[in-house]
Amino acid sequence: MRVPLSWLREYVDFDLSVDELVKAISLHSQEVDGIHRLGVLDGEVVVGEVVEFGPHPNADRLSVAKVDLGGQEVQIVAGAPNPYPGARVPVVLPGSVMADGTKLRKAKLRGLESNGMMMSERELGISNDHSGILLLDESYEVGRQVAEYFPVGETVLELDVNPNRPDLWGMIGVARELAAILGTDFRIPDISFETGGPPTADYGLRVEAEDLCPRYDLRRVSNISPGGRAPLEMRRRIFAAGMRPINAIVDISNFTMLETGQPNHVFDASRVREGIVVRRAKPAEKMKLLDGTTRDLDTDMLVIADEERGLVIAGVMGAEDAEVGNETTDVLIEVATFAGQSIFGTSARLALRTDASGRNERGLDPNMVPFARDRVASLLAEHAGGTIASDTLSHYPEPVDSWEAPLRLGRAELLLGIPVERDEAVGKLEALGCGVQAEDGRISASIPTFRRDLRREADLIEEVGRLFGLGRVPEELPKTSLSGGLTPAQQKVRTLRRLLADLGLAEAITYPFGPDRWRRDLSLESGHEPPTLANPLSAQAREMRSMLLPGLLDAAARNEAFGVESGAIFEVGRVFEARPLPEGKRDAALHFRLTGELNQPGTDAEDGASSFMGVEENQRVGGVLTGAIQPGGWNAPVRRAGFFEAKGIVERLVPGASFSPEVRPFLHPGRSAVVRAGDAAAGWVGELHPETAEKFDLSGGPVAAFELDLAFCDPDPAPRFQPFTNVPAVSRDLAVVVDSGVPAGDMLAAVGKTGSTMLAGARVFDVYEGAQVPEGKKSVALRFAFRGEETLTDEAVNGELDRISLCLRESFGAEVRGD
Amino acid sequence: MAVIERINELESEALAAVSGAGSTGDLESVRVRYLGRSAELTEIKKGIGTLPVDERKQVGGAANRVSRSLEAAIGSRSQDLAGGEREKRLREEAVDVTLPGVPYPKGSLHPTLRIIDDVVDFFVGLGYRIAEGPEVETDYYNFTALNIPPEHPARTMQDTFFLDDGLVLRTHTSPVQIRTMLSQEPPVYVVCPGRTYRRDSDPTHTPMFNQIEGLAVDHGLSLAHLKGTLAAMARHTFGEGAVTRLRPSYFQFTEPSVEMDVSCFVCGGADQNCKVCKGAGWLEMGGAGMVDPAVLSEVGYDPEEFTGFAFGFGPDRMAMVKYGVPDLRLFFEGDLRFLRQF
Ligand SMILES: [Zn+2]
Repeated sequence: MRVPLSWLREYVDFDLSVDELVKAISLHSQEVDGIHRLGVLDGEVVVGEVVEFGPHPNADRLSVAKVDLGGQEVQIVAGAPNPYPGARVPVVLPGSVMADGTKLRKAKLRGLESNGMMMSERELGISNDHSGILLLDESYEVGRQVAEYFPVGETVLELDVNPNRPDLWGMIGVARELAAILGTDFRIPDISFETGGPPTADYGLRVEAEDLCPRYDLRRVSNISPGGRAPLEMRRRIFAAGMRPINAIVDISNFTMLETGQPNHVFDASRVREGIVVRRAKPAEKMKLLDGTTRDLDTDMLVIADEERGLVIAGVMGAEDAEVGNETTDVLIEVATFAGQSIFGTSARLALRTDASGRNERGLDPNMVPFARDRVASLLAEHAGGTIASDTLSHYPEPVDSWEAPLRLGRAELLLGIPVERDEAVGKLEALGCGVQAEDGRISASIPTFRRDLRREADLIEEVGRLFGLGRVPEELPKTSLSGGLTPAQQKVRTLRRLLADLGLAEAITYPFGPDRWRRDLSLESGHEPPTLANPLSAQAREMRSMLLPGLLDAAARNEAFGVESGAIFEVGRVFEARPLPEGKRDAALHFRLTGELNQPGTDAEDGASSFMGVEENQRVGGVLTGAIQPGGWNAPVRRAGFFEAKGIVERLVPGASFSPEVRPFLHPGRSAVVRAGDAAAGWVGELHPETAEKFDLSGGPVAAFELDLAFCDPDPAPRFQPFTNVPAVSRDLAVVVDSGVPAGDMLAAVGKTGSTMLAGARVFDVYEGAQVPEGKKSVALRFAFRGEETLTDEAVNGELDRISLCLRESFGAEVRGD
Repeated sequence: MAVIERINELESEALAAVSGAGSTGDLESVRVRYLGRSAELTEIKKGIGTLPVDERKQVGGAANRVSRSLEAAIGSRSQDLAGGEREKRLREEAVDVTLPGVPYPKGSLHPTLRIIDDVVDFFVGLGYRIAEGPEVETDYYNFTALNIPPEHPARTMQDTFFLDDGLVLRTHTSPVQIRTMLSQEPPVYVVCPGRTYRRDSDPTHTPMFNQIEGLAVDHGLSLAHLKGTLAAMARHTFGEGAVTRLRPSYFQFTEPSVEMDVSCFVCGGADQNCKVCKGAGWLEMGGAGMVDPAVLSEVGYDPEEFTGFAFGFGPDRMAMVKYGVPDLRLFFEGDLRFLRQF
């Protein structure tokens, strides 16, 4: 809602700077979204009379004028051609500051001095018209300040009105609110008029769709002088409030809407056949609207029609057909209230939002109707020479009356945390328009019908709180004795994220939805249809991810495209899988999703709730490594992304994990493994299949990746003390030659199973394939640590090493090398 | 006596050799030559037993004196030489300390999650726990239970992503509050961080963003407790000087509803051209309010017995403000040039 301050002052007095006003409104009522300035911010605008007007000697497009400013004649160079000797014009004097902050100076234009500027409507903030200089009529006295006739500068506050306050979509409502904040009075314009002319009842009124139209009023105004313009000040206000002045009738209609918050419609009575019918649209009904578009209506939409055709999409926009024009002399004023949700739905389905629909969709106060109706009528009489019919037609079968809402002072004090004095609370509620009765600690407020948001005690407490000022509320902390904390699972995620960051990975958050290309490019089997969005922003963001991988690959490709070929990123996030509903339970599931109710006899509540979700979410951690994941240095080698770089990370995340080859379509068939924690599959690790890398536009060499179910990760396993002795360990190496295909991990596992009491550690420290060993063979160098209760003899250690050699020979055909 | 003279000769010879030794190695040779097993002086000592009795004492005494004198001289010379050599070695071992160290890996944590972790830790200190819930949520938990019935305009204002009938991507983390209240009795003190989704995409909105909401339900909670909690959090996040103010607002599930502002931590309101607060002096932190009695009733709590407050922040925006990030979209692109800065 745009609130021009000069207009606001018509209804309420306030002596505040703009900053103070903004603060008062934003701290007690609505957010102020912006401050707009129009016209002349500071300086003088004087009524001048053009004495001479002619072409500029040195410029084709400029004119030069001599203007009498009341005893003083100045020369002004102008761009517009419309002034003429004798015309009265607004002249802004040098030194004045315009709305955009520029300061007007004396200037020389093509050799001639210009001492000020004649102003267009746009420069004065009256309209967007910049085609010529605004010509003033005879009532403007030469030499006087234009500001004595209308404001030459305007400040407009843009209020972000909360949806529960439709009353603030009108100037009067804003004035009432400001008066309540400031503890002062406000004024509502007096409406008085004489009546005559042909009666409204020449036309009929029939409301067929009563459920969508609680009130509908008509009043006729005839004998209007055709083709008139609204007074300048009215046009200026309409423009400042963000609308476009059109003609006297439309402007008066809009002015009243802006003033009262109540939309209205003015029909050219001569085009209405027989009478007004309020009905739902007919099947396949179309309407050509004022904005030039033709709309297909549906039968849920409310239409204002005559006996022959639709005239208005109720509360939204009128048809071209019955629009008032320059020849209109006889009108019917419609002021009505509609079911807000219906207007909202119509406006949404037609993608058509107007000043009227925005107000109507909130559901307006039917008791506001007569005031707005007669305000339009009286303004038409005053400014367009109309004659107001003595009768009105009104359909208002169920009058709405004010209702009572209670307020216990003790309850208010409890919720607000401040003392609430009865008299002060009563005063605030009265300022809002409530009738208030108070007895002891109880208040009963009779709520005016324009405040439909005030129903319950909590609503009144909010009003009292904000008008008292939330600045009064002290700062306290709850005195709870609960101990807070993270669950072990939550702590684990923390530790894991920090560990990955410490290992050099960058944490990312990527979108959980993407294109169906993801599944194709990963060659995932179809059949496992993922959950999809019914209304994605684009087809590229339609499918919920079943893996973190594709989003991370897209990110890596994007990085590569931007010249960052190397890096490691990880994400902790959810993946989603569709889970079929239990047989024959779709209705029960829908019921649960919409109401939270599980009305299935014999179903365990928890079980039912999760099976009715239809989507299963799992937490995963995934990572992608590309290029030089660790840059080399003058004294350190480069570390490049590869299977073992990713595996090393996985080993930190899932201590004790076992790895065995497993083919996945998107991974290198010889460089991928399933990760097992105990017997359970915890995820996978591998190098990306070159084809997959290509599909994801990754061309910079091997890409390694891993993805693990968070439940199996244990980045910081609970420590358990292992006793140790001070006897030093004896280290022995053993190099064996085995077939290339023998997994080193199996060899270590076999060694572990020899049951040696001395063996304190075993690891692979070298693997060699090449000229030094036969074709199809590899040399595996193992290093063992032996430790005993006391210093081990060579004899004992050698014996143990022999047992190990024997075991390796028997299990893997290993030959001991290098003797 | 010729032997004694020889001993004295050896002494002067040896002392000269000691002072002439240029390295600890040379000195060791000198020691071997004059004091070693087959040194002349050693031979003399070994032969003392064969000497006439009256000479033995004199020769023995002289030999021992010279041995001690040489040992002392060698010891002292050795210290001098070793010290010099160590100094030389250290000089030779000097490195260019301006060369970079061995590159240990340096990763990063997402800026939003840094904020979330920090805020969560603060509330844990106040006795809160973390509550979590699904990102694919039912219509009921996301809307109806929060006092936003079907057809309510607030639903379309939230630009919801829909999935299968009755399922949405949660538009806020508020359904977690509902799930929490349904699963336990008061007192409740929880924070709910997580991803949320709205069908919105422009420079200041992304279809995914993060929220942290908090909920407290207990005996006797008031707006003052809410204000105190938010103010303490603001001081924790933005420094002890941070001042908090509440403005009235509107949310379906709170009544009264408030908006929370924090004084600008950059300019404190003193700079009309401040880039962070745009001259306003205040930063919008989030919405809050006292839990609407209708919501308490919906989850089976007695609103006459318990009151509560709820609040919500946008940790992405907090991160933008705190770290000076100009564009929200950067948070979700996985761009290493961005991520590595945190
Ligand atoms: Zn600032």
